[in-house]
Amino acid sequence: MEKKTLIDDYEPGPVPSPRPVDRFGFVKLDVGNNIPEAVVKDRSVFERERDERRLRKWRKMIGVNGSDWKHYVRRKPNVVKSRIRKGIPDCLRGLVWQLISGSRDLLLMNPGVYEQLVIYETSAAEMDIIRDISRTFPTHVFFQQRHGPGQRSLYNVLKAYSVYDREVGYVQGMGFVAGLLLLYMSEEDAFWLLVALLKGAVHAPMEGLYLVGLPLVQQYLSQLEQLVKEHLPKLGEHFAQEMINPSMYASQWFITVFSYSFPFHLALRIWDVFLFEGVKIVFKVGLALLKFRHDELIKLPFEKLVHALRNFPEDALDPDTLLPMAYSIKVTKRLEELTEEYEKKNGKTVQSTKLNENQSPAS
Amino acid sequence: MARRMDEEYDYLFKVVLIGDSGVGKSNLLSRFTRNEFCLESKSTIGVEFATRTLQVEGRTVKAQIWDTAGQERYRAITSAYYRGALGALLVYDVTKPMSFDNVSRWLKELRDHADSNIVIMLIGNKTDLKHLRAVTTEDAQSYAEKEGLSFIETSALEAINVEKAFQTILSEIYRIISKKPLSAEDPGQANIKEGKTIVVGESEANQKRSCCSSS
Repeated sequence: MEKKTLIDDYEPGPVPSPRPVDRFGFVKLDVGNNIPEAVVKDRSVFERERDERRLRKWRKMIGVNGSDWKHYVRRKPNVVKSRIRKGIPDCLRGLVWQLISGSRDLLLMNPGVYEQLVIYETSAAEMDIIRDISRTFPTHVFFQQRHGPGQRSLYNVLKAYSVYDREVGYVQGMGFVAGLLLLYMSEEDAFWLLVALLKGAVHAPMEGLYLVGLPLVQQYLSQLEQLVKEHLPKLGEHFAQEMINPSMYASQWFITVFSYSFPFHLALRIWDVFLFEGVKIVFKVGLALLKFRHDELIKLPFEKLVHALRNFPEDALDPDTLLPMAYSIKVTKRLEELTEEYEKKNGKTVQSTKLNENQSPAS
Repeated sequence: MARRMDEEYDYLFKVVLIGDSGVGKSNLLSRFTRNEFCLESKSTIGVEFATRTLQVEGRTVKAQIWDTAGQERYRAITSAYYRGALGALLVYDVTKPMSFDNVSRWLKELRDHADSNIVIMLIGNKTDLKHLRAVTTEDAQSYAEKEGLSFIETSALEAINVEKAFQTILSEIYRIISKKPLSAEDPGQANIKEGKTIVVGESEANQKRSCCSSS
């Protein structure tokens, strides 16, 4: 099949010489106290049995290829929510992500569309995308080989999206989102999940994170700043005194939903909840991180503070500590109020979604 | 972990690194502040930050450097960081003519958002890629002269002229600052509330992990 895409003009580069990788496929650093690995504890017999029990429950819940899913969610939404918060079994993650995001329905309703976008359309963003391909998860085996299968898939998904939505096009950061998805599903599935997220199949559309002016980033950062003041008043006060602005540390939390620089096993757990419950989990995790480090942070002067806010210690990044803390922080109602206030002041950030009503999956 | 002695410095200079995406801004910064170059570096999302303290004209100067995402759409966030900056390193890639053509747009961006007396230095990076060079030194030099910018070519990979580039812009800033009496109306003196000769703990160099994190 002849594809008129620039990246296909290149022969694949040499397969990188094998280096030891962690269980997610990231090259292990030779630094001794590498954070992601240190947190991955050896699993005990108890934990293995627990995981197998969970997996059986999950299989029953979703049915063959997801056939029972919608029925189950309607009947027992709280069971589903609590199971997702405990983490989706890794072997089912790709499928479940597609079910909870509404992307599976989009895919079924739009046969052949992805192929069309990849093969026949051209995008103004092609050069921008190519420039960033090798700078997206550069230490993951799947994306390491120059013009290898991982890089091609990533290119195709991003190019297809930039054609599908020319207003968004391609923005740095989208590659980390697409890259994370591609580790769990096919190109076409990843593309429709990106569509579901940005166009708002289930939750509020997130395209405003990437539109000109990055309006939704600005909105979320201002809301986060307010929530810090309310939930952690001493820290909020300290931030104000030291002139810490949330864009100094939290832009990438929102733009890549924690996939840019956080340990991968933590990012996955956040994504499980993010796809089911929406963006409020990003605020909750952010607040939990600040809360966890609160007593240290309030003592730090500006420069050390910026550094600390971008480099959390490994004990803060353990999902089994951080996530329960995040779940206990209630933000839903306040976020709605803040959104309303923000929109009153600045106009509506995100215009109505372009997904047709009939494409919106019932969930 | 070893801790360095707390440092004193005479001046704190805020500098921004700007220029098109992929020209090597983040690696110039890591070369200057940590003497590191990362072949497997990620594109910058939003802003990054690093500092280094060094001697400039016999004074101890702390350079506080903000590294910005290069993609145009990110200017919505990054342009706020121009305010209060005393210097800007405007970087292009000597192998990418487009990144040089865009220098004029970056200058306009600075004129719109930065303080009018900001010191600007034009940097042609990636001189190690000799066989791919597409912007001549002469063209860039004459452009810089025309626009009143200082100019240097660097290779962050081979650590050529990186030190010199930062030294030069910091000296220029120093010369301008030291001519003026320190006054509250001076918008350039960042963190003036702390006053001159401040004791601030130094943390960057020792706590930094390797430049590539695994996710």
